[in-house]
Amino acid sequence: MQNLGSAREGARQWWMQRMTAVALIPLTLWLAASLLRHVADDYATLIAWLRTPLAAVLMVLLLMALCYHMALGLKVIIEDYVHLDRLQIAALTLIDLLSVALAVVGIFASLRVALSA
Amino acid sequence: MPAATSPRPALDWLKHLLEETVTLIRSSEQQPRVTLLRRFPVPRNFALPGNARIQHGRTWRAPPGAKRVKRFEIYRYDPDSGENPRIDTFEVDVGSCGPMVLDVLIKIKSEIDSTLTFRRSCREGICGSCAMNIDGSNWLACTRTIAGTAEPSTIYPLNHLPIIKDLVPDLTHLYAQYALIEPWLKTRGPVPERERLQSPAEADRLNGKDGKGPAACILCFCCTAGCPSHWWNGQRFLGPAALLQAWRWLADTRDEAAGERLDALEDPFRLYRCHTILNCTRTCPKGLNPGQAIGAIKQKIAQRRS
Amino acid sequence: MPRALRPLSPDLQIYRPQLTSVMSITHRATGVALSAGALLLVWWLASAAAGPDAYARLHALLATDLGLTAMLVWTFALFYHLCNGIRHLFWDAGRGFGLRTIYASGWTVFGTSIALTAIAWILSSKV
Ligand code: HEM
Ligand code: SF4
Ligand code: SF4
Ligand code: FES
Repeated sequence: MQNLGSAREGARQWWMQRMTAVALIPLTLWLAASLLRHVADDYATLIAWLRTPLAAVLMVLLLMALCYHMALGLKVIIEDYVHLDRLQIAALTLIDLLSVALAVVGIFASLRVALSA
Repeated sequence: MPAATSPRPALDWLKHLLEETVTLIRSSEQQPRVTLLRRFPVPRNFALPGNARIQHGRTWRAPPGAKRVKRFEIYRYDPDSGENPRIDTFEVDVGSCGPMVLDVLIKIKSEIDSTLTFRRSCREGICGSCAMNIDGSNWLACTRTIAGTAEPSTIYPLNHLPIIKDLVPDLTHLYAQYALIEPWLKTRGPVPERERLQSPAEADRLNGKDGKGPAACILCFCCTAGCPSHWWNGQRFLGPAALLQAWRWLADTRDEAAGERLDALEDPFRLYRCHTILNCTRTCPKGLNPGQAIGAIKQKIAQRRS
Repeated sequence: MPRALRPLSPDLQIYRPQLTSVMSITHRATGVALSAGALLLVWWLASAAAGPDAYARLHALLATDLGLTAMLVWTFALFYHLCNGIRHLFWDAGRGFGLRTIYASGWTVFGTSIALTAIAWILSSKV
């Protein structure tokens, strides 16, 4: 591939991996602390917590940063180890689609809990 | 007080653990010693192509009357035999041998098996010829003491390279990757009347205050051959040696082609396959820091984007 | 001899495991484990949104031995990846590249993530 020259990109993915990582530091700490506080909750208490505006907003932010970070990271791993062109392209596409799906389902569920009457 | 009667065994144990850790950290700048695991727990021929699978070779017994016998397990490959590579065991009388691993190789070649093939020239760590994998990590045979090696000591050629014979790898591809970063001064302005001068501080960016800057690299390729990312993607990832040299020219205040150089590097594979594993920095026998240089290139690229 | 016919020298099979490579591959492994954890997080949110019955079913599943083991692995994976991720970010900012610093920060990350995992489980068993 050397003779195809430089792609002149790759910096964006690298940068976004770092930016999402920075965002994930407080967000995952918040998630871990919250889950610890709420492990023993019954359903109603848990829902009451998830409905607080802070929890809802942070959860949506977390899901966005998490899925972006996860997609970038998993794609790097596939690029590293999967060298059959077609298989690689299929795997990379699958990761993109699944990550978006995961983010959408997660955000939808959070908002449904937060906003339902 | 003996540990068994100590009132606080848990505390003592923790203290011991801490002391061990501190020793480990202290020794991290020294030549690597064999620690917990000698190898990753995979079969010795795991995923090697058919013609590269390593077989058992022969044992060369020490001569009678040898005083201090030490065993060396050495990778052998003879292209003319049509056979696969093998591991030969040599029993060497290190009592009648110089202090370095290279001395052992020379002794074997002149006294035991004259077909043993390896590269060497300067025998003082400056030509970069004798780089090889000693006890599992890459180092120069001429600057590695016998006393610091394991029993038996294992010697392989640099990793993941086509082998020409025994400990001699084909470095063509690594030199091509070095050429790709265009390791020469590039200028645009008018040619000056006299030399292009640098201040001592500017020269330090290349030589390093401690003499361990990027210009001190001897191109032995210990680092590139020890980089897992280069094993998996060496056709496209330039590897630490070439990237350290790329930084050497980016850091040079006389060079005027930084933008063009960064263009050529900014690529998901050429540069960004470096995952900061830092095997390169760990193994460099000259104490240089390719990992840091690569980080600096990434920072430069981030800088010009904002 | 044509280069393609030359045997390849061994790499992973013989290269000595050292803190640098072991921590790096662990960062990768925990990243993959956390990706599975992300799946669980979304499943958990979805079951909370679906109602008390669905939520109770998932909760029962997580209370099994297998569920608890998975949670323990995820807790460690999260704390390890978080701490080592911070270590990575320092490198990306150009700091902490000295060999001693690499080893000191490495052992600190191992110790801290094990300690945080233990603290989290002790706290969660108290509530
Ligand atoms: C909680 C959910 C998280 C998931 C699912 C996740 C997933 C991943 C994955 C799959 C990778 C790729 C690993 C590789 O390339 O070897 C990765 C890399 C990375 N993660 Fe995370 N991560 C998470 C949280 C975090 C956090 C909280 C941080 C912050 C410190 C972080 C920092 C990083 C960094 C710096 C890298 C790049 C390492 C490299 O260049 O090899 N991650 N992550
Ligand atoms: S950086 Fe060190 S290990 Fe790498 S080629 Fe240069 S001298 Fe050898
Ligand atoms: S820091 Fe980069 S270049 Fe050095 S061993 Fe790791 S991946 Fe290879
Ligand atoms: S013989 Fe020159 S570096 Fe070892």
